[in-house]
Parts: sequence; structure tokens; C-alpha cells
Amino acid sequence: MKILVPIKRVVDPYAKVRPLADGSGIDLTGQNFAINPFDEIAVEEAARIKERDPSTQVTAISIGGPEVEDQLRKALAMGADESILVESTAEWDSPSVADELAAYLKDNPTDVVIMGKQATDDDNNQVGQMLAAKLGWPQATFASKIELKPGEAVVTRETDTGEETLSLPLPAVITVDLRLNEPRYIALPGIIKARSKPLNKVAPKTSPRLRTCMTGVESPPSRQAGKRVGSVDELLAELKGRGVLNG
Amino acid sequence: MSTQTVSPPGASFFSATPARAFAPEDFAGDEKLMIDTAEQFSRKEILPVAERLDHQEDGLMPSLVKQAGDLGFCGVDTSDKYGGLGLGKNVAARILEFLSLNGSFSVTFGVTSGISQVGLALFGSEDQKLKYLPALTSGQQIGAYALSEPNSGSDALSAQTKAIRQGNKWILNGTKMWISNAKWAEQFLVMAKIDGEKFSAFLVERDFPGVSIAREEHKMGLKGSSTARLVLENAEVPVENLLYLEGLGHHVAFNALNIGRFKLSSMSIGPAREALGVAATYALDRKQFGQSISDFGLIQKKFALGAALFYAAESMIYRTGAMIDDAFEQYAGTIDGNRKAAEEYALECSACKIFSTEAESWIVDEMLQVYGGYGFTEEFPIARIYRDARVSRIYEGTNEINRLFLSDRLRRKAKDGSASLTAAGDSFISELAGKAIGQVGADQASIGAASDLVLLAYAEQSARLRSARFGGIHEALYTAFIGYANAKAAESYQLVTGESVTLPAISKPDYAEIAKAVYSKRGPAV
Ligand SMILES: Cc1cc2nc3c(=O)[nH]c(=O)nc-3n(C[C@H](O)[C@H](O)[C@H](O)COP(=O)(O)OP(=O)(O)OC[C@H]3O[C@@H](n4cnc5c(N)ncnc54)[C@H](O)[C@@H]3O)c2cc1C
Repeated sequence: MKILVPIKRVVDPYAKVRPLADGSGIDLTGQNFAINPFDEIAVEEAARIKERDPSTQVTAISIGGPEVEDQLRKALAMGADESILVESTAEWDSPSVADELAAYLKDNPTDVVIMGKQATDDDNNQVGQMLAAKLGWPQATFASKIELKPGEAVVTRETDTGEETLSLPLPAVITVDLRLNEPRYIALPGIIKARSKPLNKVAPKTSPRLRTCMTGVESPPSRQAGKRVGSVDELLAELKGRGVLNG
Repeated sequence: MSTQTVSPPGASFFSATPARAFAPEDFAGDEKLMIDTAEQFSRKEILPVAERLDHQEDGLMPSLVKQAGDLGFCGVDTSDKYGGLGLGKNVAARILEFLSLNGSFSVTFGVTSGISQVGLALFGSEDQKLKYLPALTSGQQIGAYALSEPNSGSDALSAQTKAIRQGNKWILNGTKMWISNAKWAEQFLVMAKIDGEKFSAFLVERDFPGVSIAREEHKMGLKGSSTARLVLENAEVPVENLLYLEGLGHHVAFNALNIGRFKLSSMSIGPAREALGVAATYALDRKQFGQSISDFGLIQKKFALGAALFYAAESMIYRTGAMIDDAFEQYAGTIDGNRKAAEEYALECSACKIFSTEAESWIVDEMLQVYGGYGFTEEFPIARIYRDARVSRIYEGTNEINRLFLSDRLRRKAKDGSASLTAAGDSFISELAGKAIGQVGADQASIGAASDLVLLAYAEQSARLRSARFGGIHEALYTAFIGYANAKAAESYQLVTGESVTLPAISKPDYAEIAKAVYSKRGPAV
């Protein structure tokens, strides 16, 4: 079984970020970076699948500059067998990333792609779906449980009305949700072992064709201070006075 | 990670400025991953059970040590031949810093992964190392280090515990006081005098006949750690458990302490890091006079100066660690080589120990002040952090003993030609140190003040070399630090020489900017 886990380097999801003064983007000075938490869950899932079936081959892939090596090394330490850095400092939007991954998969037969449902920086929730469409592969999004069998993936996904279980023929694309697993601590011997695992650098097979253009970033308006009320009556009067409540 | 070039020799910072020094920012990508794992482990497994640890809940501490062992933490800088990871002491110390956010865990872990192993690793025979180290590096067993006695603390060589040879056994009698981990330890590194004369080191198992542990001491802090007497009553120790040579136990004991002091420096800034973080969160929440107390200038100054002291401590600790790693790479392998490597930067280790533990004290005290009356209650973690920090200045050589050692060491190195007393003069502090060093009197006040000048010069130079490389908030931290350090240096200079001295002009430190960085990081500004 061959698994591909695409990962994205994102600004520390717990950090407070500020727009640049000219609104052209986010101020990244002094920020820490991490694997997108959803992708980290995907890597963890692939590592667990490999622990159950050691013949599994797990490849992590990311598009970006040399700084992404840190995250790709982390994926190796978590259990991936090899990492691939598609070297590019260009900007890639969701369809472009899906194009590049599709091109990789055409040349590198893979049974299943497991990836985060979205990245915490742009919150697009698009690449997995686009990739499946481009390849003509079945997809299961927001997975909370994955079971791989020969030629088949059984995926439990969360929907608004409850859990849904899908069976998909392989190859397939699966995007994962928070409840799938909780990544374990990365033991130090695993980190040292990762030093001898391959991290291959390749040139992109496609070039990004941006179909969206970011025109500006600004902070949300700062919240007005609240007002403390003494009783329910006072609260109702206040709400009516502001026209939030009728009657 | 060691640098390519060989590090400058011990104490050379006094007379020369290196072109570059290792900074915490220089840890490699995957070393950062290890450090991250340590921080996560602290925050998720240790800090949430701090109170239960303080109540000495049965089995809790040993199970945390075991968990740490499973993750590979218990033998980071011990050779992989003995189950360790075979990495450097510098990255081991940085990992230790992040495993030290809680003091009780810190001392327990610090002893079993540190001074209980290092004597054995440096001076043990192959058989001894193979027999005793793997249980410690894997976290299966806990170790302890037993030097102090009821009547022999700072004056460690006056130990009264005695060993006499009887057939194929050593018979040990005496009491070892203040033994960290006593309750849990399976192995003890014990110093005793053969025939009451030859100071020597022994490997003592808990189950040897005649070995017992007295009741726990009632301590002011570190309540979750174990501290008790080790009582040896005709304790029977196999002959082969003499560590190193008869009468050379001081090499074992004191070199373990050199490295121990370096590591204690990391263990001291760990809690300081946590104090800055929890107090920042509190300050941002607490309102008085209709505004957040975090906006008050005097509160900002506490965070700024605390972060600046932290910055200087951190700069000197990891600069020292990188040099120690180089020394081990260069010399280690034979017992003599190991000894040389552990001794080369003994002066720097003492400087780090004194400076870091005093920075820690300052920080936990002022962070408690940020809480006002709430800081004085058990409702918030700061009271525990404050109590736990107090002992840092007492153990691994009191700061007084370390001050005496530091000046003595510099004088000896100058005498044997391995160091120069002509100061680099690369800062106001260095200039003062250079002028004072020839005038140090025989009185301890003067010797202690001279040591302060030397260690402040090292701290200043380390912080300067780092801030010049990284700029921005680093520069602000450096400026805040020298405002404080120059004044301390001037005071020390006056104590040594009796001469007055004028402080140089410096730009006004931007306390608000640094405080903001501390608030947003919920910890040290960088
Ligand atoms: C919680 C805790 C854990 C410990 N863990 C261990 C352990 O695991 N193993 C171990 O072996 N020891 C351990 N110790 C012991 C510790 O190392 C000693 O307490 C320390 O070395 C000081 O010795 P002392 O307490 O006898 O003080 P003393 O030596 O009696 O010192 C009292 C005071 O006099 C000062 N003083 C002493 N001599 C001089 C001098 N020549 N000139 C100027 N001032 C001087 C000291 O600085 C100090 O301020 C621990 C102590 C504590 C509190």
C-alpha cells in the first residue's frame, strides 16, 4: 500500500497574527511555523497504518522553499518513509496545488492520498476535492475514521446529521478532520532515525496558474467593550432599546 | 550542535571577543523538534499534575520519569552504547530547560538524567557503564547522587562516610544528607573515604545489605521531589563497584558537578520561562483603574527586565554548552580526555550557574509581584514557582562557593598561562573587570565582587554577540540588560577598588516594546 500525504507549512496556528502595515499580507516576522494541524493528523494516521502493516510506504510531499524542510523532516520523524520537497518560491492557489499533486500522482502510482481537509492559514478546504476531480478518483472528506483494505477504503465521515460510512475503491483521496486521531509525541529516537531517511528535492512539474488574487488583508474591527446588566429586565430593555429585540 | 571550528579555550572570553558565539537560535531543525516534544510533554503531562506531584501522589513521579524515558529524554547526551542517544550536552540542556517548567519534575529528572549518570559515563569502566547506565538512560530506573552529609555541605571533601575493604566487599558506614530522588532511586553514586582518608566514589544499589532511606525532609518547595537521607550501616558494596580510582573520587564528584552546574543553569531558566508566561496571562486579564495592568509602565518594566535577564542567561548558557560539546568532541574518549573536556569550561559553568539562578530568583519574585495579593495564595501557580526556585542558589555548590571558585579558577588559569588577565575591554563591564582584577584583596567581599565583574562580562559579551546577529527585539533586550548590568558592575568595581566610577550613557530601554513581546509570546520575548 502506498500512501501520499501532502502537507503545508503554516504560521503557528496558536499565534496571534497581524496584517502588514500596507495590507499586502500577514506580518510573519518573528513567527513560528508548523505543519498545518489537519495535515499533521493525516501524517499521524498514515504512520499508524504503517505500524499495523509495515509493508506500507508513506511519502510526505510539500511545495515551497527550503524552509519547508523543517516540516518535511518532522513528517519523517513522525513515521513517513520519505519526503519530497517540490522546490518553488512562487505563490500557489488551491487549483494550482491540485494540478501539481495530480501531475506527481500520474508519475508515481499511489493507492491513497490522505490529507488535511483544509489549512489553518487560508481555510480554503478545496485542494482534496479538486485533486480527486482532476484525477477522476473517488473522495471522502472530513474523515473521522479510516480503514484500509485491499483495493478499498472504508471511511467514516462527520456530517451535520450524524456519521456516514463510505466505501471507496482505491485509488482514492481522503481528507481528514480533527477527530480522526490525536498525534502522539514524537519520540527522540524517531527524530534521529529520520536523519537517515530520504528528503528528495524536485522541480515542479507544472507552474502555478493563479485563478484567485488576494487584494488585501485587514484586522477584524476591534470589539466594543460590553456592558454589564443587573437583571433580566434590564437586559431585555437594553436589547429592545438597541432594536435587536422587538415587542 | 557543535560548530565547525574549535571553540576558544576556557576563560578566554575575559581577554578576547570571539567573532561569533553559538546562540539558542542555532539549534538545528530537528533539534528544535526534540525541544518542541519536550515542551509539549511538560505542558500536557507535567504542569496539569503539578499539585498532585506536590502531594507526592503514589507512583506519579516515577511514572512520569518512565514516560520521559520512553520518549528518549533520559539519556540524551549519554552514548548510544549505553542506551542513550549520543547527542551533545547543549541540546540535552535545552531539552532539559523545557522539561523544567515544573521544579519538582525538573530536579527529579535532572538528577537521574544528569549528575547520576555523568560521573559514571566519564569515569566508569566499560563493565560498570554497561551494567548501570542502560537502566537510567531508558528511564526504567531512577538514579541519585550522594555527596552531601549532615556536617559536610560546602566543605564536601570533609565527608565522614567511611569505606573499608573486607575481602571482596567494601563496607560503607555514614549518612548522606539531602539526597534528591532517595525515595525512588535504585542506584546511588556515593562518595566515601576509604579508611577515612582516600575520597572515593562508589556505585551503590538500593538493595545492597545495610542500605536504607530515612524519612522525607519537609521542604519549603520542590514538594513533589524526594529529598531524604541515605543511611549506610555496614553497607556491603562489591569491590568492583568502586568507581574510578581509590582516592580520586573528587574527580568524579566535581566533574559531575561542572556539568551539573551547566545543566542546573538550564533547569533554572525553565521555571523563569514559565513564570514570565503565567504572569503575562494574568497581567493581560487583570484590570485596575479601568485598564489592564499590563499597560502600566511599572508592570511593563518587570516583564522587560525579566525578559532581558532571561535573554542574557540563555545567551551565556547555550554559548557555554556549544563550547563544552566541542571540548568533548576534541578530547573525550579516554578517562583523562573526558576529565579535560568536563573541566575546560568549569569557570563558565560556574558563571552560568550563578547568573541563571539569580536571574531566576529575580524573575519569579517580580512575576509574583505582578499578581499582587493573589500571588501570595495557592490559587495561582506562581506561588509554587516562587517556592520551588529558592533552592537553585543553594545546591550544586552554593552561589557563594561558586563565586569563590570562579575567581580562584581564573587566578589559577592565569598562573599556569592558560588564560590572560588582560581584559578584552570590549564593554564598560570588561574594562572595569580588567582594572579591578589586579586589585582583588584577600577578603571574600572583594573576591566575590571580582567574580561578579567576570561573570557579568561573560553575560554581557554573550548577549551582545547574539543580539548583534539577530537585531530587532534582541537589540531592545540587550539594551535593557546592560542598563541593569552596568550598574551592578560599577557597584562591584567600587567594592574591589574603592574607586568611584561613572556609568556610561546608554539609550533608554524600550520596556513597553519588550513587555508587548512577552505578552504576545506568553513567555520570554524571543
Ligand atoms: C532540596 C535539596 C536537594 C539537594 N540534593 C542533593 C543531592 O542530590 N545530592 C547531594 O549530595 N546534595 C544535595 N543537596 C545538598 C546541597 O548541595 C547542600 O545543601 C549545599 O551544598 C550546601 O551545603 P549545606 O547545606 O551544608 O550548607 P553549608 O555548607 O553549611 O553553608 C551554609 C552557608 O554558608 C556559606 N558558606 C559555606 N562555606 C563557605 C565559605 N568557605 N565561604 C563563604 N561562605 C561559605 C554557604 O554558601 C551557605 O550560605 C541538596 C540540598 C537541597 C536543599
